This record gives sequence, structure tokens and C-alpha cells, in this order.
Amino acid sequence: MQAGKRKEERFMTMQSRNRRYVIGFVLLSIALVLLLLLNLMTGSVMIPAGEIVQILRSGDNTSKAGVIVSQIRMPRMLAAMLLGGALAVSGFLLQTYFQNPIAGPFVLGISSGAKLVVACVMIGCLTAGIQVSSGMMVIAAFAGSLAAMGVVLLAGIRVKSMSVLVICGVMIGYICSAVTEFLVTFAEDSNIVNLHNWSMGSFSGIEWHEVAIIAILVVAGMICVMMLAKPMSAFQMGEMYAANSGVNIRRFRICLILFSSMLSACVTAFAGPVSFVGIAVPQLIKRLFSTSRPLIVIPGCFLGGCVFCLLCDLIARTMFAPTELSISSVTAVFGAPVVIWMLLKRRGRA
Amino acid sequence: MSTDRIPNEGRVPQQEASGRAFAGSFNAVDVCAGYAKKKVIENVNLEVRRGEIVTLIGPNGSGKSTLLKTMTGWLDTQGGSILIEGKEMKDLKGADIGKKMALLLTEKIRPELMTCFDVVCTGRYPYTGRFGILSEQDRQIAADAMRMVRIFELADRDFEQTSDGQKQRVMLARAICQDAPYLLLDEPTTFLDINYKLELMEILRKLAKKGTGILMSLHELDLAGMVSDKLVCVRSRHSAEEEAAGVQSWIDRIGSPEEIFSGNYLDELYGMAPGTYRRFAAESRIFKD
Repeated sequence: MQAGKRKEERFMTMQSRNRRYVIGFVLLSIALVLLLLLNLMTGSVMIPAGEIVQILRSGDNTSKAGVIVSQIRMPRMLAAMLLGGALAVSGFLLQTYFQNPIAGPFVLGISSGAKLVVACVMIGCLTAGIQVSSGMMVIAAFAGSLAAMGVVLLAGIRVKSMSVLVICGVMIGYICSAVTEFLVTFAEDSNIVNLHNWSMGSFSGIEWHEVAIIAILVVAGMICVMMLAKPMSAFQMGEMYAANSGVNIRRFRICLILFSSMLSACVTAFAGPVSFVGIAVPQLIKRLFSTSRPLIVIPGCFLGGCVFCLLCDLIARTMFAPTELSISSVTAVFGAPVVIWMLLKRRGRA
Repeated sequence: MSTDRIPNEGRVPQQEASGRAFAGSFNAVDVCAGYAKKKVIENVNLEVRRGEIVTLIGPNGSGKSTLLKTMTGWLDTQGGSILIEGKEMKDLKGADIGKKMALLLTEKIRPELMTCFDVVCTGRYPYTGRFGILSEQDRQIAADAMRMVRIFELADRDFEQTSDGQKQRVMLARAICQDAPYLLLDEPTTFLDINYKLELMEILRKLAKKGTGILMSLHELDLAGMVSDKLVCVRSRHSAEEEAAGVQSWIDRIGSPEEIFSGNYLDELYGMAPGTYRRFAAESRIFKD
């Protein structure tokens, strides 16, 4: 009797849930593989799947198709994948930090802060005739992210209301964007055309050496974030309970800020500001897995971000080809409705 | 503001602080609680032995919560030390605090997409490894705690969709499954109806019998008198001038419920006219059999 009861209990709480996690990850992985393939196949030249497999196997980069796949589509695809994952995880970290479901690097003005500093560095270097390296871009973006984050946190000390905080973030974002636009408009250099494209947000033109840097940063960041999974779940219970469970709150908060800034800075440095991925993906993932447990949600967000950005990038470059859309305009179309839906749902419950 | 501590009775000399005197008890020694700019309560000497229920009573805003939050280690002490079985709490590393002391707070938590069982399970965190994965044994302990509080049928319910009273009991189960020798509760009866209030008192007694040392704050004097081994009376200065002169509150008396309830002391503590509480207690006795 007792044994039967215990067995049943285990079933309720464990098995059905584990099955859901497995199904969720399998679905995401299938979507990821399909999208990877689609991204390699489609474009101004359609390359059939069979040929792609052949190119990948032989490492051919001499034929026209080989060059397109290995020099243009592959790096872009990998960048979109890694950066999308990074952005989604960054959003989840911020949502945990602020205990607010609509926090995200774009909404809080962190992406725009990074954008402003990167634009300044780029213009400064171009004027001085110095070549801008990827490392400099990343550092500039990181500095910008942290600065914007600092302003948001300062505002957070004064106002306790989360909606006000988010509005502050949006305003900071607008100010930074306006200043960036101003700088871009008045900077007189032919290279500024690139800067303009970048400031709109795009995965185009990413090269292999950049992909390598992205991969290193994102993988390192993800390992660090996974190490935070346990304190994060304690933190979801509120600070005081978390402290009682042995979380060093101050150190934990600093880690959360640094890692989320690093991940979103990485995105901004290479692809410009990308909107809504950081908010929408964590929400969708939490619903998909029906849990907010960081140990599941963090890898889920990463995979979800990969899938989301690959899909959006695919649409951005193929929908009105040869004209390319900015990535943010596509992510907004898919992401913003998610946010609206979530807010309505939340209101309905409260 | 005077910062020197006035020695008072019951004070434990510092050199004994790490000695055997504190085995099996949770102590505040000369604690000053509050904030750097505003000290709320000074010269606190308290002892909670294992198996004992100690209750803080006193008027609203007298600093009971501040004192409790300091005892949990959340607020830094502004002086003195808090000892768990003779060890300075400040020196306890990470999860060790959770293994020694469990909490039930008034602050509301809003966990997303967590079942009541999940919430209870977070009490087992101090015992889990690097990634916080629960063992089957952890789950069993959490389930047992839910049975003890009689909310096992809520296990699979979404925490957000339960009533305030149910939430409070889930949080109690969470504290119980933390399996710590000391339990601190801040106004645990808030949100509970009379039935659950009494049930909570029953559970606390059961825990105390098993050897848990309990420190809580309560508004209900009748419940406090009924369940506690010791009452700690936190008194505050009544006038603004008095407050401006120094610390806001102090511990006025510590004693058994019988001692504290005798005479008109409670009226004095809460700033009421002498005899008010006694009259209230007599008038509220509506069952005449």
C-alpha cells in the first residue's frame, strides 16, 4: 500500500515531467537541425540538401556552391545560432535578476548602450585611420552594456516598481539610439555605410575569425551561466530564502549582471542590437517545458534562441531577396506578439 | 547617539562565547539590530534552546521583524554576535546556515510555473550538490513534510493558484523539510484562519518536541501565551523625543507566559490603559459553560 502510494507519487512529480523535458529538447533539436539545413540551402542560389552534405563531407571550397556554403552561409548561420542562444540566455538572466518577465537586454536599453559605445569606438577609429578589430568591438560593447546596466540599476534603487524600471530602460534605449543615429548621420566616411547597416542589426557579412571569437565567448559564458543554475533557482524564491540556502546574494547578483552583459555585448558587437529575442524566447521555453527551473530553462533558452534566430535570419534574407531586412524587424514581428500575449495572460491572472 | 553598550543582566561574557555554554542553543549576545544610520534595537540577549518555543511579542513597529531578520543573518548586526551552537553565524559558510536554520518569512514569493511540491523541495537545497539536483531521499523528505502540514494533496497544484493560507502552509512544509535544528518564523499566522492557526501551533509544538528550537514573532497574544515556553517582550519608546534620544526599542522582559501575563504588564507593553487586556480577555470569553 505504502509502496504503491510512493510509486504513484514519484510518477506524478518525476516521470511525466522528465518526459516533457525530453520531448521539449528533442523537438528543439529537430527544429535546429532542419533550420541549419534550410539556412545552408536557401539564398540567391538554391543548393539542394544532397549537395550540401557532399560539400560538408569533402570540405570543398573551390566550386561556386562550395564557396557560398563554406564562406558565406556557414559563418553567418553559426553566428546567428550562437548569438541567438546567447541573447535568449541573457534575457533569462535579466528576468531572473529583476524578477520581471519583460526584462531583457533590448528593453532595458542594454543593447542600445552597447551600440552607442561601439559606434563611438568605430567612428573614432575610422577617423583616426585605425582598423577596428573584433576584440575592440566586444570590449566596447561590454563597456556600453555595463554602463547602460549601471544606469538602469541606479534607477532601480530609486524606483521599486518594475514597470517604471522597464520604462526607464526603454527611454535609455531611445536616448542611446538617438545619439548613435546622430553620430552615424554626421560621421563622414564611406565606411559609415557598414556602420549604418550594423546599427540596424544584421547577421550579414560575419566572417570565420569572428565566428571563432563568438564561439569562444558564448561557450565560456554558457558554462559560467550553467554554474549559476542552482543559486538561480534558490534566488527565484526571493533573496532572503536564497541567502538562507547559502547563496552569497551580492556575489550572485554581480555574476548575473556580468554574464548577461557579456552575452548580450557579444551579440551587439557582431550583429548590432537585436530586439525581442531576450524576452520572447525565455517565455516560450518556460511554457514549452512548463517549468522555470534554471537547470532546464538555461539550455532550453539557448537552443530556443538558436532556433528563433535561425528562423528569423532565414526570413530576413529570403523574404524580399535580394533586399535584406534588418534582423530586428523580423524578430519583432515574432517576438512582440509573444510579449503582448504574456502580459495579457498575466493581467488576467492577477 | 550613544554607541557604547550598557552592560545588563544576563549578559554573557565574551570569552565564553565559543565555549560549551552554547551547545544546543541559538543565541544573540549583546546584539544591536537595525541599520548603520538608525539602530532599532540594542542590547539583545536571547537564547533559544533546542526543543523550546520562544516568541517575540510587542507593539507594531517595535522592531520584532528587524530583530528576526538580524537573527537570520539577513541584516548585518550593528554590534554583538549571533551564535548557532557556539559558532558565530558570520563564519558559517554557504549552505551550512541552511542546515542549521530554516525560515518562514512574511515576504511573498512569486515563483513562476512551480508546483507546491517544487516549492517545498527548495527547502532541500542546502543538501544538494553543484547543480541542485534532488535525490529520491530529498523528495521523500519533502513529501513527508507536506503530509505533516496536511497539504500533500496540493503537491501537483501550481503554487500561484493556491490561496494565501495554503501558500503559507506550503512555505511551512518547505521550512520543515529543511530539517534544521532551529526554525525562525516571522508572523507565521498571517493569512491563516483560526483553524490553521491552531493547527500551526500544534505543528510547532510537535517540532519542538522533536528537538527543534523555535523563534518566532506573533501578534496574537493568546496564541503566544498558549504555545510558547518563553515570551520575549520587545518594547519601544512611545514619544518622538525619546526616539530621537537614541535607540528605538529594547527587550523589556523575558519570561514564561505566566509571568508575562500576570498583572497589567501587557497593557504597559502595548501602551494601553491598565486592565484593558484583562477586560478584553474576559469579555471575549463568550462560551459560558
